[in-house]
Amino acid sequence: MSEPVKVRSILIGALGGEGGGVLMDWIVSCARMNGLAVQATSVPGVAQRTGSTSYYIEMSDKPSDGPAPVFALIPMPGRVDFVAASELVEAARMMERGLISPQRTVLVTSTSRMYTTAEKMQMGDGRFDSSRVLAAGEELAKKFVTLDLDKIARETGTMVSATLFGALAGVGAFPWDRAACETAIGAGRAAAASRAGFNAAFEAAAAPNSGPDTAPAAKPGVVASAGEAGGFAALPAEGRSIAALGYARCADYQDAAYADLYARRALDLAAAAGDGSPETAHALAEAARRLALWMCYEDIARVAQLKTKPERFAKIRAEAEMSDDQILSITEYLKPGADEIAAILPKGLGAWFMRRVERKGAPGALGRGVHVATTSVHGWLTMRALAQFRRIRRASLRFADEQAAIENWLAAMKTALAGSPSFAAALAELPRLLKGYGETAQRGQRNYDAIFSSIVAPAVARGDFSGAASLRKAIAAALADPEHVALDAELSQAAE
Amino acid sequence: MERSFAAEIESLKLGEGETFHGEGILAVTKALLQSGVSYVGGYQGAPVSHLLDVMVQAKDYMAELGVSVQACTNEASAAAMLGASIVYPVRGAVTWKSIVGTNVAADALSNLSSPGVKGGCLIVVGEDYGDGASVIQERTHAFAMKSAVWLMDPRPDLPTIVRCVEKSFELSEASHTPVIMELRIRACHVQGEFTAKDNRKPAISTLHRTPAAPHDYATLSHPPVTFGQEKAKYEERMPAARRFILGNGLNEKIDGRHSDVGLIVQGGVYNALIRALQEIGLADAQGRSDLPILVLNVVYPLCPDEIVGFAMGKKALLVVEESQPEYIEHEISSILRRADVQTALHGKDMLPMAGEYTSEVLVGGLAKFIEKHVPRLGNAGAKNYADEIAELRARAVAALGGPPPIRPPGFCIGCPERPFFSALKLVEKERGPFHVSSDIGCHSFGTFPPFSFGNSILGFGMSLASSAGVQSFVDKRPIAIMGDGGFWHNGLLSGVTARLLNKTDGLLVIMKNGYTSATGTQDLVSTPRAEAKREAGGASTTDTELTIEGTLRGLGVKWLKTVHTYRVDEMKKTLDEAMSTSFDGLKVIVAEGECQLERQRRVKPIRAAALAAGERVVRTRYGVDDETCTGDHSCIRLSGCPTLTVKTSADPLKSDPVAHVTNGCVGCGLCGEAAHAATLCPSFYRADIVSNPSGFDRFMARVRNIFTKAA
Repeated sequence: MSEPVKVRSILIGALGGEGGGVLMDWIVSCARMNGLAVQATSVPGVAQRTGSTSYYIEMSDKPSDGPAPVFALIPMPGRVDFVAASELVEAARMMERGLISPQRTVLVTSTSRMYTTAEKMQMGDGRFDSSRVLAAGEELAKKFVTLDLDKIARETGTMVSATLFGALAGVGAFPWDRAACETAIGAGRAAAASRAGFNAAFEAAAAPNSGPDTAPAAKPGVVASAGEAGGFAALPAEGRSIAALGYARCADYQDAAYADLYARRALDLAAAAGDGSPETAHALAEAARRLALWMCYEDIARVAQLKTKPERFAKIRAEAEMSDDQILSITEYLKPGADEIAAILPKGLGAWFMRRVERKGAPGALGRGVHVATTSVHGWLTMRALAQFRRIRRASLRFADEQAAIENWLAAMKTALAGSPSFAAALAELPRLLKGYGETAQRGQRNYDAIFSSIVAPAVARGDFSGAASLRKAIAAALADPEHVALDAELSQAAE
Repeated sequence: MERSFAAEIESLKLGEGETFHGEGILAVTKALLQSGVSYVGGYQGAPVSHLLDVMVQAKDYMAELGVSVQACTNEASAAAMLGASIVYPVRGAVTWKSIVGTNVAADALSNLSSPGVKGGCLIVVGEDYGDGASVIQERTHAFAMKSAVWLMDPRPDLPTIVRCVEKSFELSEASHTPVIMELRIRACHVQGEFTAKDNRKPAISTLHRTPAAPHDYATLSHPPVTFGQEKAKYEERMPAARRFILGNGLNEKIDGRHSDVGLIVQGGVYNALIRALQEIGLADAQGRSDLPILVLNVVYPLCPDEIVGFAMGKKALLVVEESQPEYIEHEISSILRRADVQTALHGKDMLPMAGEYTSEVLVGGLAKFIEKHVPRLGNAGAKNYADEIAELRARAVAALGGPPPIRPPGFCIGCPERPFFSALKLVEKERGPFHVSSDIGCHSFGTFPPFSFGNSILGFGMSLASSAGVQSFVDKRPIAIMGDGGFWHNGLLSGVTARLLNKTDGLLVIMKNGYTSATGTQDLVSTPRAEAKREAGGASTTDTELTIEGTLRGLGVKWLKTVHTYRVDEMKKTLDEAMSTSFDGLKVIVAEGECQLERQRRVKPIRAAALAAGERVVRTRYGVDDETCTGDHSCIRLSGCPTLTVKTSADPLKSDPVAHVTNGCVGCGLCGEAAHAATLCPSFYRADIVSNPSGFDRFMARVRNIFTKAA
């Protein structure tokens, strides 16, 4: 009898709609061209609609005249030779299912992410930690190769199916040469792009020290200072660059005097710090960040200012991958509410306006969405005019309210910094809840107020800062769901 | 239809000796033609959609062969079609997704199986079980037994599947009984090859018509002949079937050196069993096994002689039978007891009652069997394997810091059903929760986050019927949602007419996207006509196709509104009105917007041709200004579009990721509509990008640039 045939198994984890079926066909046709027995299967079903899906291929290692192997239709945990994933969390899924074996499996994955709805819909940051997936791959795969298949596909104008094919070939998943793969891809214009993507991914995957070519996204805040951090020497190192950014932001938002106010506030906090512990340093840095974002709250004038920055259009052109001879027009979707109008009016006028709205309802024009074409002359001038409200911002209704609230928070921060760095660190995070527009902003305000009055104010009054943990839990609860179910439960529990 | 089968149609024409390469379900299609079928029908559904899709697209070739192909409007209508074979000597085949399709077909199936058939009848069902299944986990086996129709479960390799199709027709004719062939999901989609035969033109066909059969009361499923038919099933047809199965060697016996024990396995699970035996060193890659195996390609009826013959001289048998209950094991048990064979019988006592029988699961069951009855083999490495995999999984979860987020299927980019659920979300926010009766179709993705709507699903087209009781006692008016697919499959009769008959309150939303989209965009009676699509170009065409509205008006629906789904604000107001109106009859909202898959199929070539010709082309996409986005993600909670995602903010001061629209955006407009309807945030913008701009475009751009220094 001829020597026993070995079966080679290849599993591809992908998302529906990525062209996995085409990839499977390429692999099957290569195997046939090389006289190998082959079987491929998949579970497309409704997973074709953007859900997780997989493709599984088994083939004999070499041509044989004997009976064909009995191929399995389902990958067996721990017994798969090559696994490719078009997306990083899909690679994680393969690991979770026990399909990646340190004794056997070569895992090649894209470092790109297509966030799941569960990750995207969180009110804070719900993203799965990519660095854990990369570390797990190193630990669990016999050989772990990472590359950005999505980026390569975009650069070569093809689909991720082509770059997956190249990546698999590059790590030696196939018992045939590269030329056979190119033959399978075929001819024609789409095929030329596929071949380019295939080749680029092949080179990247075959490169000896192929590692993550996209560094994990830099954590915000560690970017080198662009401004004059020198003025913030009193702040610990961690906070200096943040404070410099905050300073510049306030100057852009309002004027130099406003930036100076920011600097004074930040330095006052530093002066109130009780010790030089890392926790205190972290609290100060976080407070500097939140203070800057809060002082530069987004009102109509700010939105109009940001939307008419010249660099914005260049950015949009780049994002849409536009060429120079294409023309861009931009339409904004604006629907300012009565409170947002009142916010930028002078204090007395704004208050009168809100009273009137409460009595008689908003004037008809409000609450109706408007489309403003910022790229048109009329739209541009409208937006610029709105941006001019910045000049009277200091006298506006909202400005007064926000500054009072900021001072309140700063006062609490100072006491907490002196009393408990851990509480201060949590309190520094609290303004994170203040974000968004309209209803979102109202919800954030409600949550902020609830936490401030039930946890922060009593702690400050009593001088008892033992509740850092419950403050942190309350903030997390406020970000857990938009209906503040978790927060209400958390606060009532804390009150017991 | 979602895809083109041009290449597959060519492989259907292969002749004697040529090699067919392709998918399992298309191999079945080819085998039908090799068997000389006169007619084919069915209702689409994964994993068998392709069988019918390819035949519908191969219209010309089918006409050449004289084969009639019908796209049936539900499975009952497909099963009823087989009635042709009761009185005429013609072969016919139908297909559907099981268990759900078999449930719908059950009435016709009973009426077909009672009189039995003259011509061979084959029902190809996609046994939607296990990984990737989208329906309730039940077995087709029960229907085979209760109606006494035969059930094939072939080994999942193409030559065996093809042989079983051909033999099914012969078996059907030899025993005057319809045959069901169940193919699991992966078997339907398996890529393999077989040696083809010539297709056979049916003797009676669209090309060669026959006179109507004379009246013969015995062929009716009507008393008193039904009593005789029942006897015939068990006294004549089943023995004939058993003779045929044994005579043609449809089941396969594999010898093994440990001949004192044996395994009996459904054909469909054979490959997984071999891989499990291989893992514990009891089989090689080509399937040579140390344990004897009886492979049942026909799982109903069993042949007592064959079972007893296999059991004789063995001290123990293990029945490897996927899913529950264990019909085969019970039948084998009866056979052995009646024959007084003292072989120990195992099955569900050693293997799990529920769930897919993967090799991993089978290793566990085999280990128990071997430990008890072949202890000389030790545990044959099974324990090591189980430990190894458990450890692998534990290490993975520890290294990952928890399970990765799940990724269920969802609405496509630009799907017109998404904005309806955005509107419904806004209604819910204002009015509080209300009962939602969900249904089967793409719109059932609305049951997943971020929408999470739906209190029950009762079957395809059953949503309105399922809210009939609910509406009588809940405080807020319940909403029933169904697709146009579900409406024509069942919903019109079981839901709409029942509500009209009883003159009771009700609120039905019909998602009119023009196709049965979830199964691959097959046509409906209300699918926009080809010329309407040509005229519309890339625009939605479902606004001008009014078959559904006309039908409802004709039936007497008084409160009927059609709203384009992308008008989120208008949809919200319409829903508000429907939920609060004092009109207490049936209210129907037709939520209209053409399936984006179908639209994109038209848009892409039109746009590519225009660009190539140097014509002015406008592409629209949406975007988010990350400077103004505060990272709350309210917009995502109202959309869930794959292209509306998050990214790390370019602003180092912001710690939460900001919303971001990828370049995959097709400019459907939901982002802007939702931002307006929900008063979300000013961060969204629409970018209109003009390629090959006209002279006027260029002039205007220059003028604007003087002011804006921008675009």
